[in-house]
Amino acid sequence: MRSSVHSHRPAAIGAVLAAGLLLTSCAATPGAGDGATPVKGGTLTYASGDAEPTCLDPHVGGNYPQALVSTQYLESLVSRDGNGAIIPWLAKSWTVSPDGLAWEFTLKDGVTFTDGTPLDAAAVQANIAHLQDPKTGSSTGYLALAKVTSTESVSANVVRFTLGEPDSALLESLTQPWLAIESPTGLARGLDENCVAPVGTGPFQVESWEKQDSVVLVRNPAYTSPPADADHTGPAYLARIIWRFIPDSASRFAALQAGDADVIDNAQPDTIVQAEKGDTITHLDAPRPGASNRIELNSSRPPFDDPIVREAFIRSANVDDAVTSLFQGTAKRSYSALSSVEATAAQRPDLFGYDAKAADKLLDSAGWTARDSAGYRMKDGARLTVQFPVSTNQSIPAEQSLFEQIQATAKKTGFEVVLTPMDLSSWYTALGENGYDAVSAPYTKVGPDVLRILFDSAGIVPAPSGYFANHAQVNDPEVDALLTEAGAVTDADKRTGLYTEVQNKVLEGFYILPLYDQQNHYLLSSRVSGARAMPTVSTPTFYDAWLPAE
Amino acid sequence: MSDLEIQADLGRQARARSPRRRRIGAAEALAGAFALFLITAAFAPSLVAPGDPLAIDPLSAFQPPNLAHWFGTDESGRDIFTRVSHGTGGSLVIGTLATAIGLGLGIVLGTMAGMLGRVVDFTVNRFLEVLFAFPGLLLALLVILVFGPGAQTATVAVGLATAPGYARIIRAQLISVRSAAFVEAATVLGRGRWQILVRHILPNTLAPLFVLGTLGIGQAVVWASALSYLGLGAAPPAAEWGAMLSAGRTYITSAWWMAFFPGLFIVLTAVTATSLGRALERRARHA
Repeated sequence: MRSSVHSHRPAAIGAVLAAGLLLTSCAATPGAGDGATPVKGGTLTYASGDAEPTCLDPHVGGNYPQALVSTQYLESLVSRDGNGAIIPWLAKSWTVSPDGLAWEFTLKDGVTFTDGTPLDAAAVQANIAHLQDPKTGSSTGYLALAKVTSTESVSANVVRFTLGEPDSALLESLTQPWLAIESPTGLARGLDENCVAPVGTGPFQVESWEKQDSVVLVRNPAYTSPPADADHTGPAYLARIIWRFIPDSASRFAALQAGDADVIDNAQPDTIVQAEKGDTITHLDAPRPGASNRIELNSSRPPFDDPIVREAFIRSANVDDAVTSLFQGTAKRSYSALSSVEATAAQRPDLFGYDAKAADKLLDSAGWTARDSAGYRMKDGARLTVQFPVSTNQSIPAEQSLFEQIQATAKKTGFEVVLTPMDLSSWYTALGENGYDAVSAPYTKVGPDVLRILFDSAGIVPAPSGYFANHAQVNDPEVDALLTEAGAVTDADKRTGLYTEVQNKVLEGFYILPLYDQQNHYLLSSRVSGARAMPTVSTPTFYDAWLPAE
Repeated sequence: MSDLEIQADLGRQARARSPRRRRIGAAEALAGAFALFLITAAFAPSLVAPGDPLAIDPLSAFQPPNLAHWFGTDESGRDIFTRVSHGTGGSLVIGTLATAIGLGLGIVLGTMAGMLGRVVDFTVNRFLEVLFAFPGLLLALLVILVFGPGAQTATVAVGLATAPGYARIIRAQLISVRSAAFVEAATVLGRGRWQILVRHILPNTLAPLFVLGTLGIGQAVVWASALSYLGLGAAPPAAEWGAMLSAGRTYITSAWWMAFFPGLFIVLTAVTATSLGRALERRARHA
């Protein structure tokens, strides 16, 4: 008798990895030269790499993704030209009292919001009230208006701001999209409704917003209020703008190359270099004003509560080589707390040189002498660990790689840098819980007053939105006093001198590691003519833009 | 020895019988060679690539493949050949562990269904059917959603997601072995239920499992890489194939080698595991 052993045939378990790489060729369409007659109509597709806003009203919260899109449909009282001078926009003129406590803005005549509500002094008042209302949850606008105590209508088209103390930055603050003027009728609908379709006076208006996909903007046919530095008057040339969200940079660039997008933002250094070799794509480099891109070291908790450890970390980080390799000439190293766009930026290259030996000595002197088996330094049984949450929405891949390089060079000195990639809301949560030692957070603001927001001890207390800007948690009465004085002086030279002193204190205290200006690169199909970045916060405006006829 | 005892003994020996010799095909030889390379790289990566996979050299970033850097360098000047080689261990460990978890769970569920009577069989089967309703990768994503991203979670997730398939196969195998003549013989001889399970049934079920496991490793490596690629497994700058593929994709238009080589290794590993598994399966059938 034979036994039979059943050999079971296994079910086929096949796994197929299908990697679809879409390599598209450049569709060459020669762009119209300068001086050609703009063509009316057409749809421009903009692909943004910034996070999709949770609210299209930049009063709520107040971040850069909101500024990017709202520049198309909202307008501010004043603007700034390429030389940094304040120019008229919705306000045609303004005056300030000798004590600096009363500002009067005279509004342009005959401007209406796209819902038909007229722009008048009461409308401006409603906006200031909206920004200052804790229920709105404004952080950027709220902070910028900190010194405004009340507003009143002097006449139908003259509005007066009364300040508790002089504000040398008021006009600069008012140029920003986060303080744009919206229809009071729109605001009265309540936050939820207003978030979906804010109503402004801009050249475009929000038609629809399909979340996770795109915002559709259509031309405002009754537009009358361009800023003083615009190229034309009357309605915009483009009929529509499709504002898409493509977080992945490679897909975004592929969309531009394929003609699926006409403009992309957050362009990667390698794609900029590639685009500049050809002639089908143009590059618009518009560094953001306000703060430089920097790593902020949380001085409120160990290990960075010790200035020697902060200095050691900064000395152990080889930033120069990283910038050279990753940005391929598209970004310049910064040694300042401020953007190079700001004339008041103090550069201190002497403080930020890479010096691993000095870093070792500093850590030895701070008592971090032991090393564990992994080579990380120890003190009192604790490892020298730096928690570094990284916002994948706010840091482009090249910047994330830069942090990896800093992680690698700091490891040699004995720092364990824990990089945790996060989406924007988890990242805000980590910051709110004080669960970080290092963080890189962009902060864009017009003018050096950004120093007050970033380094005044008041910035440790969260704004109504829960966000706070003083991530380094600088808590120095001298810095506070200098910032208060600088915010009030009217003399330009004295103001510069005070801001320089503040910067030196912050830089010498090793609270931050400056990297480069906030990178802001747009790539445009050469079909697009007339687009420019606003000299305020460097967001693109498509009011003067047009596309060749199909 | 009685006839019945011989019968029972034959069953025990069945698994030990040496397979018939077969000629080794070219594909199998290649797969074997690559498997050998992978195993070397996994256990002694420094033999294959002596460098440090995390060592940066910013000033030699984005170098295309050349004599000094066979697979080129990435955006931080790290050598991609070194990273791919050092990533082998991680990928194979995830693949093997995930398969072990899947198989282990599969054995438990399958044995319960196959051996513990109709009620248990019915319950386990309905449970498996529910799990089958979800695509495996989706099930893995669910596990990660609950327990948070990371290499360990990814391993467990892939293991759990593959378990239902194994359980089904094991159950079927058990049922067919259970009714084999030598099991009947052992029963008639008055051997205990437990003894029959351990000495006669399980050994004859486990041999095909070895084949299954080999096939499964390839699949698990692909799945684990997919999870890392999505940013849910090993985090950068870890030398993990999926994470490297994801980092490389950013530069696909200017530095193709960054994505190509990790991708190639994922594909080759899956193909190797599959062809070795198939070869084992053929032998088992000819035995």
